[in-house]
Amino acid sequence: MKVVIVGCGRTGSALAARLEAEGDDVTLLDPDESAQNRLPAGFRGRFIHGSGSSRSLLEEAGIAHAEAFAALSPSDSVNIIAARTARDFYRVPRVFSRLCDPARAPIYAELGLAAVGSVQTDVNRVHHLLHHRTLEPELTFGNGETMLVRAFVPGYLAGRRVAELNVPGEIAVVEISRAGHSSVPEGTSMLQQDDFVSFVVASGSLGRLRSFLDGTGH
Amino acid sequence: MRIIVAGGGTIGRQAAQRLSADGHHVTIIELSAARALSLRQLGLSAVRGDAAVLPALEAAGALRADVLAVCTGTDEENLLISFVSKRHFAIGRVIALVNDPENAWLFDQSWGVDAALSPTAALLGLIGSA
Repeated sequence: MKVVIVGCGRTGSALAARLEAEGDDVTLLDPDESAQNRLPAGFRGRFIHGSGSSRSLLEEAGIAHAEAFAALSPSDSVNIIAARTARDFYRVPRVFSRLCDPARAPIYAELGLAAVGSVQTDVNRVHHLLHHRTLEPELTFGNGETMLVRAFVPGYLAGRRVAELNVPGEIAVVEISRAGHSSVPEGTSMLQQDDFVSFVVASGSLGRLRSFLDGTGH
Repeated sequence: MRIIVAGGGTIGRQAAQRLSADGHHVTIIELSAARALSLRQLGLSAVRGDAAVLPALEAAGALRADVLAVCTGTDEENLLISFVSKRHFAIGRVIALVNDPENAWLFDQSWGVDAALSPTAALLGLIGSA
């Protein structure tokens, strides 16, 4: 696969190294010439010194024949312009970009650009670790706004119905494992002690779920 | 007219001073707090903020603006500011500065730009090497 990556920082260089090791044809662009020092010894991809929003450099990088494009520079404006150019002008089938400033997230969304944003994800994750040590998410979705959490049903909740744990917009019971068998519950399904339950929870509602499970809630 | 100038560098500042002197209502959006302060000391109206996000544009009066002149020193920022202001505030005329003539092809309606101005391209034209 031919891949063009804008930005040879920590993320761009690590991604390039992995793709190249897997046999992909990788070309990086970065306005800082010394950025190529982050690439591993023996790296067989190409490094082009210059801006990722320059049309002539993108063409030199082979964007017209690229199958994938990743805009990972530390500037949202460069990433947005490069990613939109790659998708709309050069018709690159797979385009991803990095969101740097969460305040600019709506611009990516308005343009329909797939963005991976680490700041909000990291904030949500660290916030979660600081406040909710007992409920570990198995999976997080989006930028960490919602997550999948699994927990055993405590004895005092036995006999309650699934619908009593569902809180619209906050907490949804999506799966119950009982005696090695998993099922998608109905609202009327009855909980039993030691059921292992999967919840999808809004990150702001983890405390509420924890208080349900700890018996400190209602 | 109600005019917003995004970017209070040399071009933005001088345009704002001239337009204010001509009786227009001009507000500058400037990212640097120090520069915004020095613009205010010149008697200009300046909002400190990122002109590519809605709060700064709203604070500068984007809902009622007739013209937006986008004059930062970075082409990518100029395109983003043009896009956001055209899309959210439907400003009638968005004029954007092209810093690097190689980027001129990007400055069109797809980024919300009604008119692009490229001093370097103009200079090259006058020298006769465009």
